[in-house]
Amino acid sequence: MLHRASGRAERLISDPLIGILGLVLAAAVVMAFVQPTFLSLSNLTNIGGAMLAIAFLSIAMTVVLIAGGLDLSVGAVMALSAGVAAAVINNGVPLAGAFVAALVVGTGVGAVNGFLVTRLEVPDFIATLAVGGITSGFLLYWTRGVPILGYMTPAYEYVGGLRRLIGPITVPMLVLIVLALVTATLLHRTTIGLRLYAVGSSAAAARSAGLPVNRLKVYAYMFSGFVAAVAGIYLAGRTTTVPPSMGTGYEISAIAAAVIGGASLLGGKGRVLGALVGALLLTLTRNIINLTGVESSWQTVLTGAVLIGALLANHSWGDLVSLLRRPLRTAAHTEAYPEPTTREG
Amino acid sequence: MTASPATTRRSLLGGAGLLAAAGLLAACSPNGSDSTASNAGPSQGPASGASYDDAVRSIVDGREIKVGFTPPVLSENFTQIEHAAFRKMQELEERFGCTWVWERQSPVGDFSAVQGTLGIVQSWMARGFDAIAVSTGANFATVQDLYRQANAEGVKIYQFNQPAELYPEEELLTVTNVGYDNRWQSGYLAGTYIAEKLGGSGKILQIWGPSGSDWTRARKIGFDKALAENPGIEVVGEADGGYVRDKGLQAAQDLLTRDPDIDAIYGENEEMALGASQAIDAAGLKHWDGSDGILTIGADGLMSGYQKIREKKLTATVNIGGVDQGQNLIEAIFQTVVLGQTVTQFINNPTQVVDLSNVAWHEAYTQWALDAPKTYGS
Amino acid sequence: MMPGRRFSRLIGTDGAAIAIALLLVGALFAVTVPEFAAVGNLRYFVAEEVPILVITAAIALTIIVGGIDLSVGAVLGLSAGVSLWTSMSGLGPVPSVLAGVGTGALFGVVNGLIIVGLRLNDFIVTLGTLNVAAGLLVVLTGRIQLTGTDDDAYVAIARTPLLGVTTGILIAAAVAVLMHLLLRYTTFGRRVRATGLGVEPARVAGIDTGRVKFLCYVVSGSLAGLGGVLLASRLNSVQAAMTSGYELTAVAAAVLGGVSLAGGRGGIWQAVLGALFLATLRQGFRLLGVDPMIFAMITGLCIIVGVVADRSLRDLANRLTLRDTRRSIGVAQ
Repeated sequence: MLHRASGRAERLISDPLIGILGLVLAAAVVMAFVQPTFLSLSNLTNIGGAMLAIAFLSIAMTVVLIAGGLDLSVGAVMALSAGVAAAVINNGVPLAGAFVAALVVGTGVGAVNGFLVTRLEVPDFIATLAVGGITSGFLLYWTRGVPILGYMTPAYEYVGGLRRLIGPITVPMLVLIVLALVTATLLHRTTIGLRLYAVGSSAAAARSAGLPVNRLKVYAYMFSGFVAAVAGIYLAGRTTTVPPSMGTGYEISAIAAAVIGGASLLGGKGRVLGALVGALLLTLTRNIINLTGVESSWQTVLTGAVLIGALLANHSWGDLVSLLRRPLRTAAHTEAYPEPTTREG
Repeated sequence: MTASPATTRRSLLGGAGLLAAAGLLAACSPNGSDSTASNAGPSQGPASGASYDDAVRSIVDGREIKVGFTPPVLSENFTQIEHAAFRKMQELEERFGCTWVWERQSPVGDFSAVQGTLGIVQSWMARGFDAIAVSTGANFATVQDLYRQANAEGVKIYQFNQPAELYPEEELLTVTNVGYDNRWQSGYLAGTYIAEKLGGSGKILQIWGPSGSDWTRARKIGFDKALAENPGIEVVGEADGGYVRDKGLQAAQDLLTRDPDIDAIYGENEEMALGASQAIDAAGLKHWDGSDGILTIGADGLMSGYQKIREKKLTATVNIGGVDQGQNLIEAIFQTVVLGQTVTQFINNPTQVVDLSNVAWHEAYTQWALDAPKTYGS
Repeated sequence: MMPGRRFSRLIGTDGAAIAIALLLVGALFAVTVPEFAAVGNLRYFVAEEVPILVITAAIALTIIVGGIDLSVGAVLGLSAGVSLWTSMSGLGPVPSVLAGVGTGALFGVVNGLIIVGLRLNDFIVTLGTLNVAAGLLVVLTGRIQLTGTDDDAYVAIARTPLLGVTTGILIAAAVAVLMHLLLRYTTFGRRVRATGLGVEPARVAGIDTGRVKFLCYVVSGSLAGLGGVLLASRLNSVQAAMTSGYELTAVAAAVLGGVSLAGGRGGIWQAVLGALFLATLRQGFRLLGVDPMIFAMITGLCIIVGVVADRSLRDLANRLTLRDTRRSIGVAQ
């Protein structure tokens, strides 16, 4: 009992995410002095609203990364799904029907990704890059470069978070929380989730263990497409217009958030909580830049520095803990925990 | 939009000359830069005298004019310009019997896909196009060599919607630049509009396009001049909104959080201004109602922006004259390629601040262009 | 039997598929678009691709060693800026080239130190340095308009006509050849491939994998710097964000050429063929006047078809080899 409790505490402390959370916290403390409005409810709500799209996509990306894949089409799928939702509403279909259509399209593109990667054995980078190109090309062709407008209804304003439910809470925030909880449960408490980790760690080993590797990978890509569609439905509501270029650049942010949160491009690693923290960090960077009024030409440089800083914080925390932990571990118990590490092979 | 397309078109065509003249007066810039509107083009020339038309027809001799049109991105703004061009092409085709081969290509990606533009232009040169119309994020120096090569091969280069006013006129290698002066016809207009509405004093936010863009640079020059003339206007925050709505929204939200006591927000383009407008809603602040609230102003003149002006979600925008740009681009091509005339290096078109008071005709004019009955290319 | 076996061995070679695909697409365009094969056009469009070709070689090296250098595109842009700035300051061609390559090398060293020394994730680190480099170019071009040098010697670096092409193209080709030789025929190259296949086994085999990786990043950065010099010399102008997105094209080219993102597999010349394949598609569609909206879709489809064809070709080669082997065994019995 005692052992288990101390084990849990130790696992918590040695969690590499603590490093990034520490960085976030430190930034918050500094900002609280530099710019007191930083901690105001309205600013925190802004951050919450601004991080949603990246948060959704980073959850999608994390699941694919866990399964040992990569999905460069999330941004394009998000934009196409947003376009589908908007266009279907403009054709007089009720909101629910439009959302279903968008989700079907998103999941469908995910299935195509999965098919290409597993059945046709196209490398994931190429397959999803090409599918992303085809998807955004289709949206461009369909809209002729003109944004889709005129689909906003009061109900959709709730979906887009433009109208709030209670206090600062919006519908998409709740959706994100539910989605995060469901995904985390799926990943850690179900066979499918555990098998996804196995597939990502080593497809060959998983295959020889009799796991349906291809099917699991297809599931991961379909999930990614589905969540990207959720992001699209939300973002269409937030921006009240769907320009065909809507998703540009989001895929890289999603990967960055996922990897900051502990996912690995080599597969088998990653967590939903990590993805959320990664998305928070990216959004926070921009927020702080805007609040402090850094000259806009320096903003990109700073973003890059933060990326590396986050990784460093994450990493050095792991190092620090394992350094401190060594005597502790030998004394307390022999049970082995996975090394907290961000190292790549 | 109650008028039938035919009457709208005729009256607007007639009006175009007036507008151009008005533009001349309005754009009397402090710098004395060449703000001349296209004058006495074939379609605005002697009123449909049969002999004139026949004379031009005999020169045209049913020839085919191959035009390449490359905007920096595919967007609402450039779609409007292109459709305005279609209107003029059809008109010239019916009147003088020329036929058009129209090809539109834009680099895939964002405003910075400069190399893409160079490749597109080069491929049209290789295919012997008569006229290549370029709008690009590439700056003056980057395109110089290619244009020089085009000139050597006898291919005519036209720029549209390009902040060419930033560069020495004598070094430009283009036939003409169909556009407007971003400094005095856009940035300066927005700045003075804000100052005027706020009665000369107030706190404002600025949301700019990506750092390093020529458009941003030019509009900033104009806006700064307006600020210098109105010392009561204070810029309390600025951010990079990357020309897109989502980033504009986040930037405006962040800046409004720091300082909710703001009188106006300038979005350097309309998408960012619309994002700022949403930030005002999200923060529960009040839009400008003519005397109170937060004023928002952008620049482009998009149908989506006009709609928001009517909904009072966007106070104003600078219509950069996309329809006239499209029309005058085609006129310039016809005049120079077919008739062998010269045109002035800067064909600057009328621009205007559009708000609730004049949104109706701007919207109808743009809609008229978008309703072009005949489109060209694929 | 022999011709059949030779055929199967030929099509089973790494990069054979991409080479065949390149030839097919090139031939198709040459027949359907008369302007495509015109010498002037070919020369121009290959010259345009020089920066991409150089960083494709760079990124392929870092992928093969088991990492990835996403910063190559942005570093190329920054190096171009620094190099042109140096030339505009009147320092002459040699210091200008050194400044450009040096900037790239510096970023390579930084990438290598952080990734190897601090053992951080290469993807994020180089994404970070990508932003730093891109941002520094924004800052630089915001201060100084890099609108061209008067130094003819600098401009001549990439533009001088030689052997029917330009010096820029020849330098890029030399880079590809040298990198190929380096990877294929030197101890360093063998170590790179071994490290990419697995750090642990390589370490057991006595390879200082950290050093190998570090050197790969330095080479990659230096090549990006060289690419930047060639770009600046050809355009005689540098602006912010000019090279944004280059890294994705380069990775796509490398993977198309058979470089595996898992590391250890693939070669430089195949990656360069991948880049040429993508460039040919782009130029061919441009000359055909394909609507850019459809263009993106067709390019995506072509890439997928290309990879699937590569796969099938290799399978076919394996089957043919197997059949030949069976037969030869049968004959022997």
